[in-house]
Amino acid sequence: MIYDKNYYLDTFNVTEEMLLRLSAEGLNRGGDYSDLYFENTTYNTLFLRDSEVSSGGFMTDYGVGIRVLKGEKTGYAYAESTDYSAMLSAARAAASISQGPGLSRSGELSDSQIAKLIRDAKDRAATYTPIEANGGRPMRRFFQGLPNPAADRYPMKYEWRKAEIASFIPYLKSLEAAVRARDERVVKVVATLSACQSDILMYNSFGEMKYDTRPMGTISVSVVFSKDGKIENASASRSFMKGSEMLTDAIVEELAEKVTKGIDERFEARRPKGGKMPVVMAAGASGILLHEAMGHAFEADFNRKGQSIFSDKMGKRVCPEGINIVDDGTMKGNRGAVNYDDEGVPGQYTYMVEDGVLTSYLHDRISAKYYGVTPTGNGRRESFRYAPLPRMRNTYMESGDACAEDLIASVKKGIYVDQFSNGQVKIGEGDFTFFVKSGRLIENGRLTMPVKDINIIGNGPEALADIAGVADDLTIDDSAWTCGKGQSVPVCCGIPTVLINNLTVGGE
Amino acid sequence: MVDGMIKESDILLGKEGMQTALDAGASAVRITINRSCMDLVGTLNGEIDKVNHSLDSSMSIQLFVDGRYAAFSTNRLENAALKAFILKSVEMVRIMAKDEFRKLADPERTEKGALTGKELDLYDENYDSMTPEKRVELALDAVAYGRCSATECKIISEEGEYNDCVFDTIVMDSNGLFCRHTETSFEYGVEITVQDEAGAKYSGTWWDATPRLKDLSISTCGKKAFEIAKAQIGPKPRRSGQYKMVVDSECSSRLLTPVLNALSGHSIQQKNSFLLDSVGKKIFSEGMTVMDVCRTAGETGSRLFDTEGVATTEHSIIENGVINEYFINTYISGKLGVKPNIEDATRPKVMPWPKPGMDRDALMKLCRNGILVTGFNGGNTNSTTGDYSFGIEGFAFKDGKITHPVREMLITGNLITLWNSIIGVGDDARLCKSKLTPSLAFEGVDFSG
Repeated sequence: MIYDKNYYLDTFNVTEEMLLRLSAEGLNRGGDYSDLYFENTTYNTLFLRDSEVSSGGFMTDYGVGIRVLKGEKTGYAYAESTDYSAMLSAARAAASISQGPGLSRSGELSDSQIAKLIRDAKDRAATYTPIEANGGRPMRRFFQGLPNPAADRYPMKYEWRKAEIASFIPYLKSLEAAVRARDERVVKVVATLSACQSDILMYNSFGEMKYDTRPMGTISVSVVFSKDGKIENASASRSFMKGSEMLTDAIVEELAEKVTKGIDERFEARRPKGGKMPVVMAAGASGILLHEAMGHAFEADFNRKGQSIFSDKMGKRVCPEGINIVDDGTMKGNRGAVNYDDEGVPGQYTYMVEDGVLTSYLHDRISAKYYGVTPTGNGRRESFRYAPLPRMRNTYMESGDACAEDLIASVKKGIYVDQFSNGQVKIGEGDFTFFVKSGRLIENGRLTMPVKDINIIGNGPEALADIAGVADDLTIDDSAWTCGKGQSVPVCCGIPTVLINNLTVGGE
Repeated sequence: MVDGMIKESDILLGKEGMQTALDAGASAVRITINRSCMDLVGTLNGEIDKVNHSLDSSMSIQLFVDGRYAAFSTNRLENAALKAFILKSVEMVRIMAKDEFRKLADPERTEKGALTGKELDLYDENYDSMTPEKRVELALDAVAYGRCSATECKIISEEGEYNDCVFDTIVMDSNGLFCRHTETSFEYGVEITVQDEAGAKYSGTWWDATPRLKDLSISTCGKKAFEIAKAQIGPKPRRSGQYKMVVDSECSSRLLTPVLNALSGHSIQQKNSFLLDSVGKKIFSEGMTVMDVCRTAGETGSRLFDTEGVATTEHSIIENGVINEYFINTYISGKLGVKPNIEDATRPKVMPWPKPGMDRDALMKLCRNGILVTGFNGGNTNSTTGDYSFGIEGFAFKDGKITHPVREMLITGNLITLWNSIIGVGDDARLCKSKLTPSLAFEGVDFSG
């Protein structure tokens, strides 16, 4: 959602002249580029426990982060106040990444000094902006100008900030009722609504100003079931960059169905015999495979430092022909959507793998400069307290032409997995894991015994090369995925049903 | 006044905020004021790569209004903005359902001796004299890049981070509670990635942290990270099967944390725990004793009070396999109808067994053959059953000595079974961690590879 420019300037109590001055202060010790990231976030939560909404709260977070780049080096500081003196202090702390004497170390810069700093830095920083060096690919963009309302990827019909938070209490109760109506073994239900709205204003030493209001609504439910003295749990969530119009009856039914579905199997499920075997990954949440197996290793900061297992694979085949993997910041209302990333670069639809060949890393301005390519709009951060890093948005594989049932039928002895909780990767070694909440054995092409609570481990390049079939059923999973890399950002993932020939499955 | 320390004006603001809430109809209020300051210098391949300066302040406000409760937080601590925030918050509490068990902690149970914040001797007065130049010097002195070498590999990258910080917390409530905790921290961490002759990459990390700069082992971190990375070269697959397992103290807390989570009163009240109805029962091996050693002066993780202001005590949580307690705060005490104690384990320590003084090498000798786990890669635990499955990295060992690294392996089982399979508990917990878990040895662990 995008308001008028003055809304943001007023929210942060700043003028364009102040932004220019602060930007110049950041450059004063010899920096190449500086940017400012203002954030005003409000966050409401409601918790339903023991059938009552008896707790919740409200949080505000406000401040500005100031970054200075010198080559690939970063100076960063922030202020929790937008008083000019506090921001000036932060700008000077960030400026210290450069060790130059500065035109003025303590007093205010004059207008002519500001003009000189900005002019000189523009030349030095030219490569932080796009250049035509991306293999002729049509990704050249200039990031000048004001936000384009046509690219508003998260309009809100009903703003969270203007909503009566009490009006959502019946919604949480209806969710609990829908869960209990589906299964009499339910012992406890915890339902949570979190509603976040952030005003963002960005300004950089090129004089570019971008602004945005970002909503994030998340509804989640955790349920404990009891049967014959045994206890099991399950959880489900839905998260969108939308206003409160996202709280529909359909979402209630969808969550209640998801959290109760398969609970019989969970009570029956056992651990399989562990070892290497073919794994069929169901459409949707199995996108965690892409996130862990290659997404992180394609983040360009790991590659420019030579740490990633993929750092020498650009332009090389990493998957069988016909496979396309994207990181998409353009899907309207999606948890990973961005109008602009947190460096003011437009959100994009970025192919990482095309027809099986690695064609792009995920870039922020620093890595794009290093590689001489256009930033891909992946410079993201948790809040104004953090400098941006290359991060995923909504990562998925495009549909193939196989049939999911055929992929299962082709496996003599293996495993089918469909629900997950978390994953991890070792960037250099490429070893990734993800934790499977539910699945089934595949025996002679048929789904048989339910399995649960097993970890699966594999190696990124080997797993990608081992993809034996991709179905035509791409599904985006709209759960509340959050990616951690020293700082947390909301992401999304998806995948069609995929068969991988050889992964190691935990078991007894 | 050092940046990052709570000022008298902050305390006054907190008291005024408390009064604003009471005047607006709150029956009780708890306010937590936090201030912190952190400076970080990062290096990449021997050169300064980043400098960060962070100055944080926030106020958390728990409000009890008309038998209702909600929690709030803001970092906008200007008088007018805070007053408006609190008035809005009081109104929001009124939309909640009544909950008779929401109360402040009983003053009889709260800490009375944490007035200056420095009672635990966790504040290094030398912090005041830290300068940007000194931080850069420390970060560069720690660099291993160009100083470590081996014939079998080369260093691809070294990322180091030195940081120091001060954090200061005050908890006060409308019953007269006033508790303060002030701590400095000095930390250095480094990750080194090496490449072998075949082009395969391996990474190693090491870190140290301490409340006092003089105790920081900064110069050895890079060498240690390099050795860890180098040791992983040439991994071999290992057949699936049951093996004895030694878990290095660097990562062994991964096996204790889900046990402590299962003792949380919240988990018990929500029936979301594999340790329901376990207090007073022998659930684990004789060899499992966990103490809360939370009031030890000068040690990372020590605290005199919890977030309610309740005084911590040093006591046993699990003794010779018998569970002595759940962690019960004021609210859960009311919900469950049991006596309250503390909201969580503050500084849990797994005690040595069967004898003191063993480290991971001694445990490997004790086991003779098996797999040494030096790190976990993902995985999780089912909180209702205790079933776990983790990716691991480590080494096979034979006759007590490491033979070769293993790769792409998993361990799978149940935590109750695992903690009943203890062979030995070491005495080598790292003091820089808030959970003092030493190296551990277990038998009959299912490995998949």
